[in-house]
Amino acid sequence: MARAAAATDVFTAIAEAHRREILDALVAGERPVGAIVDVLHLAQPQVSKHLRILSDVGLVTCRAEGRRRLYRLNHERLRPLHDWMGKYERALSERLDRMDDYLEDLQGRERVR
Amino acid sequence: MKGTRHGSATVEFPSEREVLATRQFDAPAELVFDVLTKPEHVRVWFAARPLEVCEIDLRVGGEYHFEGFIMDEDVMTCSFRGTYLEIERPVRTVATWVFEGRPEADAVERVELHETDGVTTMTTRLTFKDLSTRDSITWSAPDGVHLADGAQEADDRLEDYLATLA
Repeated sequence: MARAAAATDVFTAIAEAHRREILDALVAGERPVGAIVDVLHLAQPQVSKHLRILSDVGLVTCRAEGRRRLYRLNHERLRPLHDWMGKYERALSERLDRMDDYLEDLQGRERVR
Repeated sequence: MKGTRHGSATVEFPSEREVLATRQFDAPAELVFDVLTKPEHVRVWFAARPLEVCEIDLRVGGEYHFEGFIMDEDVMTCSFRGTYLEIERPVRTVATWVFEGRPEADAVERVELHETDGVTTMTTRLTFKDLSTRDSITWSAPDGVHLADGAQEADDRLEDYLATLA
């Protein structure tokens, strides 16, 4: 399972649809593996692999309660994603501001003529 | 009064495959359309520094190619290419948008302009293709292995691509 190491950060981890579904399933709170399996309609070994990847990048944490393993979302690790979206939004906004300035320059020039 | 609309763009992520940006400009749609589609204009405003390559063949099936230091902190040039799918002057362009000249279309960008009383509202909707296709291909592997090599590369590309889009 060397490929399991492929997801090295939050972004790669959430690039896979089933892993996003797992995160969705955990938004409401802590859940045992069985409950996640029920939501995803995937075989338990596959769900476990996905959970391991999410756990490796710190997006979920796990604790044992008797024989059950309970998974929960680590909201703090979602912060890089929020930061990235904020950065993306700023950069896009700045580009549109440059376009705005340029349009204004163009129209100013026309008025002078 | 320069810059009165600065910072007024709204950027939404309506779904995991879409980015929607909305912005108003105090200019007629005809002029906004020109500024979006004529290389002598795009070269100037697209990036923080003027683009090094800015070629636009504005017709359905025609291609464009932008290359330059797209973001302020870029240490190397980035390249975008795409093909126009729809053009309706001055209200709409739809084009593929491919980062670094990858042969397959990674996204489709739909730009729409709507002018009211001399103010033009521009919406830009970027839709990533093939995410679901990619996922289904990834999961057809009988042994349930993790991301196939191709899918992993696609993920890396998507991330690089997103980082340089804006």
